[in-house]
Amino acid sequence: MFYLRGCGRWVAASFTKQQFPLVRLSSDSAAPRTPHFDVIVIGGGHAGTEAATAAARCGSRTLLLTHRVDTIGQMSCNPSFGGIGKGHLMREVDALDGLCSRICDQSGVHYKVLNRRKGPAVWGLRAQIDRKLYKQNMQKEILNTPLLTVQEGAVEDLILTEPEPEHTGKCRVSGVVLVDGSTVYAESVILTTGTFLRGMIVIGLEMHPAGRLGDQPSIGLAQTLEKLGFVVGRLKTGTPPRIAKDSINFSILNKQTPDNPSVPFSFTNETVWIKPEDQLPCYLTHTNPRVDEIVLKNLHLNSHVKETTRGPRYCPSIESKVLRFPNRLHQVWLEPEGMDSDLIYPQGLSMTLPAELQEKMITCIRGLEKAKVIQPGYGVQYDYLDPRQITPSLETHLVQRLFFAGQINGTTGYEEAAAQGVIAGINASLRVSRKPPFVVSRTEGYIGVLIDDLTTLGTSEPYRMFTSRVEFRLSLRPDNADIRLTLRGYKDAGCVSQQRYERACWMKSSLEEGISVLKSIEFSSSKWKNLIPEVSISTSRSLPVRALDVLKYEEVDMDSLAKAVPEPLKKYTKCRELAERLKIEATYESVLFHQLQEIKGVQQDEALQLPKDIDYLTIRDVSLSHEVREKLHFSRPQTIGAASRIPGVTPAAIINLLRFVKTTQQRQAAMNESPKTDQCLRNADRLQERQL
Amino acid sequence: MVHSPTCPHPRFLLVPASEPQFPHLQTPDPGDPVWNVRWALCTRRSSGAAAPGSGATIFALSSGQGRCGIAVIRTSGPSSGHALRILTAARDLPPARHASLRLLSDPCSGEPLDRALVLWFPGPRSFTGEDCVEFHVHGGPAVVSGVLQALGSVPGLRPAEAGEFTRRAFANGKLNLTEVEGLADLIHAETEAQRRQALRQLDGELGHLCRGWAETLTKALAHVEAYIDFGEDDNLEEGVLEQADIEVRALEVALGAHLRDARRGQRLRSGAHVVVTGPPNAGKSSLVNLLSRKPVSIVSPEPGTTRDVLETPVDLAGFPVLLSDTAGLREGVGPVEQEGVRRARERLEQADLILAMLDASDLASPSSCNFLATVVASVGARSPSDSSQRLLLVLNKSDLLSPEGPGPRPDLPPHLLLSCLTGEGLDGLLEALRKELAAVCGDPSTGSPLLTRARHQHHLQGCLDALSHYKPSKDLALAAEALRVARGHLTRLTGGGGTEEILDIIFRDFCVGK
Repeated sequence: MFYLRGCGRWVAASFTKQQFPLVRLSSDSAAPRTPHFDVIVIGGGHAGTEAATAAARCGSRTLLLTHRVDTIGQMSCNPSFGGIGKGHLMREVDALDGLCSRICDQSGVHYKVLNRRKGPAVWGLRAQIDRKLYKQNMQKEILNTPLLTVQEGAVEDLILTEPEPEHTGKCRVSGVVLVDGSTVYAESVILTTGTFLRGMIVIGLEMHPAGRLGDQPSIGLAQTLEKLGFVVGRLKTGTPPRIAKDSINFSILNKQTPDNPSVPFSFTNETVWIKPEDQLPCYLTHTNPRVDEIVLKNLHLNSHVKETTRGPRYCPSIESKVLRFPNRLHQVWLEPEGMDSDLIYPQGLSMTLPAELQEKMITCIRGLEKAKVIQPGYGVQYDYLDPRQITPSLETHLVQRLFFAGQINGTTGYEEAAAQGVIAGINASLRVSRKPPFVVSRTEGYIGVLIDDLTTLGTSEPYRMFTSRVEFRLSLRPDNADIRLTLRGYKDAGCVSQQRYERACWMKSSLEEGISVLKSIEFSSSKWKNLIPEVSISTSRSLPVRALDVLKYEEVDMDSLAKAVPEPLKKYTKCRELAERLKIEATYESVLFHQLQEIKGVQQDEALQLPKDIDYLTIRDVSLSHEVREKLHFSRPQTIGAASRIPGVTPAAIINLLRFVKTTQQRQAAMNESPKTDQCLRNADRLQERQL
Repeated sequence: MVHSPTCPHPRFLLVPASEPQFPHLQTPDPGDPVWNVRWALCTRRSSGAAAPGSGATIFALSSGQGRCGIAVIRTSGPSSGHALRILTAARDLPPARHASLRLLSDPCSGEPLDRALVLWFPGPRSFTGEDCVEFHVHGGPAVVSGVLQALGSVPGLRPAEAGEFTRRAFANGKLNLTEVEGLADLIHAETEAQRRQALRQLDGELGHLCRGWAETLTKALAHVEAYIDFGEDDNLEEGVLEQADIEVRALEVALGAHLRDARRGQRLRSGAHVVVTGPPNAGKSSLVNLLSRKPVSIVSPEPGTTRDVLETPVDLAGFPVLLSDTAGLREGVGPVEQEGVRRARERLEQADLILAMLDASDLASPSSCNFLATVVASVGARSPSDSSQRLLLVLNKSDLLSPEGPGPRPDLPPHLLLSCLTGEGLDGLLEALRKELAAVCGDPSTGSPLLTRARHQHHLQGCLDALSHYKPSKDLALAAEALRVARGHLTRLTGGGGTEEILDIIFRDFCVGK
């Protein structure tokens, strides 16, 4: 089922057993000789797959270009998804109808929620994932997505044309040139090339160019980007060796069992594909002084550790752990790679020692005495583009309609990549249909925090999501990502299915109704004591106590409350998810009101948009210091809110900017009585609508 | 919130923020007072002026310091009316935009504070466009301080940040462009003045305490955050939470003790801060003695006589002034004098007005040149909008200049000639001082120490209240939020407070990662 066309290999579902409807392919059967798409996505990793499917969901005819179709959905590092902060991102990706959460619910082998005892705002949904299943399920999904075409091919260059006058940027991308010289045209292009930009793999003192072990790096593309004037930086990351499962003595190690019941990642799933009892365990072991010794003795054989390329402040490898925190036992999780995989992934043992020393070190560790290393650990050094060169919609300032997502922007992690992928896909598509961009604010989601941090502050280490980065952590929880994003995704982006939208609407109205009912039920504290004797309700207040306040007590849930007051509360216990979410809302109720005040303040500053075409270096009407000008020039903040978060931009500079915006506004208004372009109208309508 | 109407031009939208979609957040519930005092982005970088209309009600002293019969205290924000009713113990608000005489009393103790004129300006017809109240109280420090502290204790009220009133007025379309013109300068000046005022207040024991508390709290928060973000994936050592808990409880005790003690502990150093500086033996102490009409400082022909900062309150041309004599600035001397020089430089940072003194007969010496190049040039180089710090250059010992000889160097910035010995030039200096002091004291932004004290009180109390909500045994995210709020209060006083600071501590103290 390969379609050979002028420019490479068009691939349909040739590698899964099922038959796929060919409707998708027929859509481009009438394609012109020079293929033309709405959106091209380069790269089939976690950012690329989300970007391509999001663009297609938004209605764009999309082409996914990848080196090899059989690596689409490849998990090239850890065999797990989610975790603290990352699980939040996955829920948000899912709320926008993204793929990874649903695929994980079909491909996991060990589901566990982290931080169970620390409060629902910081629960971290996490699962060990079967690599093979994930890839299969992802490819199935990708090849079944309407409007999405997949093609193998390496991109060598971008096709650039004159810029659109109504936007900033020095040129506009209109397609790509492949290595074989063929061209594909598109309205928007998304780059999700991961570590492939001048990727370099390092093991011991050996270095060779590669994006991922066994894959070619993209060198031509990196040169093109540099020639265009993008500021390029270099980062490094690493991955641990893989160990043969049957060479490990698990019987002497601590076993970690999965949750029962499993909590699914996706809002659309009530459970996961596999029963808890059929899931695989993980095991825990620790390093010891002999490991330290091998690391320290062989530093001279380890160019990755020695080199100055910026690594993160946190510890990326066992070498840095030993160097920075000597004389300690470091944790090593032995994680399954899949149901029928013979490999074990030793999380915590990322290393770049020469291969023979890796095995020597590993066999010092308890339980691994006879371990066989099947694939050595390695380091990767790669180019990233300073993310201050992109807008919050992930479009570049320099080249119109060119979007970046994923590791290319300096992030690390599948989830961070997926989150950017969805946003880039949506915006590439909105750009084609000339609709206003879809930007998630840092008051709306972890995705917003991630992108705002990147675009306003940049990053000098691989950026990873932590909940501590999120100032509105109690409001932006995994449980309410649908309320925060699904409705907007449906209305403003068009990337959400009708079914999901209706489900979120139902949930939103049920929650609102439930909360108001819980607020309306008021009894004296002594009556509550009689009703729920097992809870020590404080009687210090003489005022009546609302059911919502009783629900705040740790020991109380909707079930016990509904037992005490069956009417009208019983109906809220029928849907388990609703009952649990009401409990969470009650837990944070008093704090959330005040957080809302703050959120409003931030949103007000974010509604004050700065003109996109200000030349900060030359404008005279606004008095700014040279330092502030340079900072604004580089990051090009789109709102007063974003500008105020750039370090070094003073309150006085902000006021000057405000004044400038207002003066320009008045001047323009005077010059032009009715200059409303459709973009402005839509923008205003949208905001008005959202306000209603 | 009232906004200017949507602008007709596409690129310059000034539009209201969209309503956030949190179903649970629609019916306001004031809840615990501790959460009332959160700040926009307090847990993050806070380079911007506080966001306008962020729901809080702000107050400030809006008349200048110095001798005045009446001081004006203003509030702006939704709780203004509530605050007015609480302070006047009245059920109803006075008629809008009419001056009414009311007895103000402390809402906690019931103690009468002052009989004052109060004006109620319901929004949007007010200076900021929000509900505003003006209290015209008798100008004594005790009364002003009492009213400020009373306002600070009303839930939902907090001292204003620099330029916040004006910023709110701007956001609500209450300022025309010419008025906005000066706004950035004003905010800059206010920020600078508040910074200097804070430096004065934080100079010494209180500052030491505050910084120590902020450090403890930041570390405790970082450890709790580490426990949340990494506790289960990476191996944090045992007892991280327990240790944080111990530190937070100790901090609570210290803050509580300090707040109970604060009333008698802190001496108010009101007045404009005038600092006399210059190279050794320029005659700084002589000038201080001359201006204060008493022998404050020991005067001798030996360079380096003054070693510590000597401070004396004086009345200059009718303005209250705190005059400081400092050690002569020079390098490479003994440790005691070096410390004096360090203190002198520190005091210079805090000055509203610098009297820079040079020996007129010794202008070519390295110490004079160095002084001109560093101190005088650095203050002078800044445009008035860049720094609200003022400087007068005084050339002493004019009696040593030969009357017909060449005058002082031609490249000198504007200066005054004086002889502390003969008193010649004193009238000119006093006249110049009067002009400068009128500018310093007439400007409410100079940072009244009364307001600074109210700020301290407010934020320390806020910090303490927030700490009482820290219950790590329950929902840890909620407990961490209490620490974030508490830290926000402290860093309002000490500066700093970003997320990166927290991450730095996490990665320094714990081995976490891939």
